[in-house]
Amino acid sequence: MIDVQNLTKRYGSHLAVDHISFAAEAGEIVGLLGPNGAGKTSTMRMLTGFMPPSEGTAKIAGFDVMTDSIEVRKRVGYLPEHVPVYPDMTVKGYVTFWAKLRGVSNPRARVAAALEQVQLTDRQNMLVRNLSKGLKQRLGLAQAVVHDPQVVILDEPTIGIDPQQVIEGRESVRRLGEKHTVLFSTHILSEAEQVCDRVLIIQKGRIVAQGAPATLRQQLQPGAHLYVEIGGADGQTAHSLLTQINGVESVQAQGDGYSVRARPGADIRAAVSQTVMGAGLALLEFRPVAMTLEDIFLDIVGREGGA
Amino acid sequence: MSGAWIIFRREIGQYFASPIAYLIGFAVLLITGILFYSDLNYAATTRPAEPSLIPSFLAFAMIFCAPLLTMRMLAEESREGTLELLLTAPVNDSAIVIGKFLSAWFFYTVLLGLTFIYQFILLAITQPDLGHAICAYIGIWLYGGATLAVGILFSAMTENQIVAAFLSMGVLLFLWLAELVGQIVTNLDIALVIRQLTLQGHFTSSFAVGLVRAEDVAYYGGLMVIMLFMAIRVVESHRWR
Repeated sequence: MIDVQNLTKRYGSHLAVDHISFAAEAGEIVGLLGPNGAGKTSTMRMLTGFMPPSEGTAKIAGFDVMTDSIEVRKRVGYLPEHVPVYPDMTVKGYVTFWAKLRGVSNPRARVAAALEQVQLTDRQNMLVRNLSKGLKQRLGLAQAVVHDPQVVILDEPTIGIDPQQVIEGRESVRRLGEKHTVLFSTHILSEAEQVCDRVLIIQKGRIVAQGAPATLRQQLQPGAHLYVEIGGADGQTAHSLLTQINGVESVQAQGDGYSVRARPGADIRAAVSQTVMGAGLALLEFRPVAMTLEDIFLDIVGREGGA
Repeated sequence: MSGAWIIFRREIGQYFASPIAYLIGFAVLLITGILFYSDLNYAATTRPAEPSLIPSFLAFAMIFCAPLLTMRMLAEESREGTLELLLTAPVNDSAIVIGKFLSAWFFYTVLLGLTFIYQFILLAITQPDLGHAICAYIGIWLYGGATLAVGILFSAMTENQIVAAFLSMGVLLFLWLAELVGQIVTNLDIALVIRQLTLQGHFTSSFAVGLVRAEDVAYYGGLMVIMLFMAIRVVESHRWR
């Protein structure tokens, strides 16, 4: 549904998006994850047909964003980061305007459906200026789905609204995935983890990692991060014992035990248990530490930053 | 062109919902009313009623009214971020600008239509030179369109409505006052060229005295086309920033 090849955006000499390639299937929810200024918004703007790429191609439903821009725009619903509204219009008038502009054949029914979808039906005659920020966000979402687009692109849809609304917002993004391909950006990691089928981590305009949240976690191999608690040894002994094991990168005291990190690619589980047992000590606790996306993210971004 | 029509409709709704349009309408009708009254007093005693009275006044008033009527149109879209949505909607950039321009021109036409009531008053009490008046109205209608197109261009150039209004006022005032420059230049050829380039030069000595000349229609039409073309390019440039 979305097919991006070597997409690049330059602003003068600044490289905002650096030859990124990815694809998204119909019905997939893809999260663009990255710190501010990583190139998320630029990527999205190129996909919506707002601005042309400097290099590379992007196709939405088979239409190129450069050569078939109008066809692409018909098939994309877009909610920019700051919800753009006309304060003097009514909720219904606003959604109707966008429906008509995007050539919806039965605007009345579609507007009603979109308002229903974002639960704004009971406020349809209110002026947009009187809506709270969270409600404006929902209005923005209604505008983005009113023409029943194949692809919905949401730029940081949960920013600046209260926690209850954030949860509702995530819910509505999940529901969107039932009918549309969703591309949404965020810099909140747990959000991407909860909502997305697949996450693309973007840093300095490049995709540095991608995959399902669970796969991403697994990409850092099993045994990569263990928590070990040893009985019958003082801190010093246990620490040096663990540090000596082949493949161990670092050992840190954590509570009553140790957090042991392996070098990339090394499976240290067997070695750790054998060494501890071999030294005549008791292995009181021994478990892999599941890395959250946050850890992975910091890991990757940290590595990129250092490079 | 249906995109332009939808934008036109929204803008019209916007005009009739905004106080500034009513204020301008009020001011124009008040001032033209007073002018008409005093002209009528003269007409009763010394000379016939002036057929191009209202259009001639509007030629001056539009220098200030056109920027006020158009300053909002693209500057606000740009500031509120709605321009980004418009530019990702399946409409051409030209449809956005033309839709907005036509709505401003339409509103102005309604305003102009309201001042036509004075002609009906004259008709009721005397025999005005209706041909002359209609000619002046056609002229000021085109003249107004050209000034509104200038306003649209500057509204496209900035996010700030006030800046847009002042810039277009400045340019319009220049186009208007350049007439005076033409009068003090001693070289006749240069003076003629300057006069051909000014807003007044194509109004005061033609439409205002009851003449419809192709060159004047072409001047105002051309001004509209050029201004709108530039405005479309400016809107388009948002894609390249």
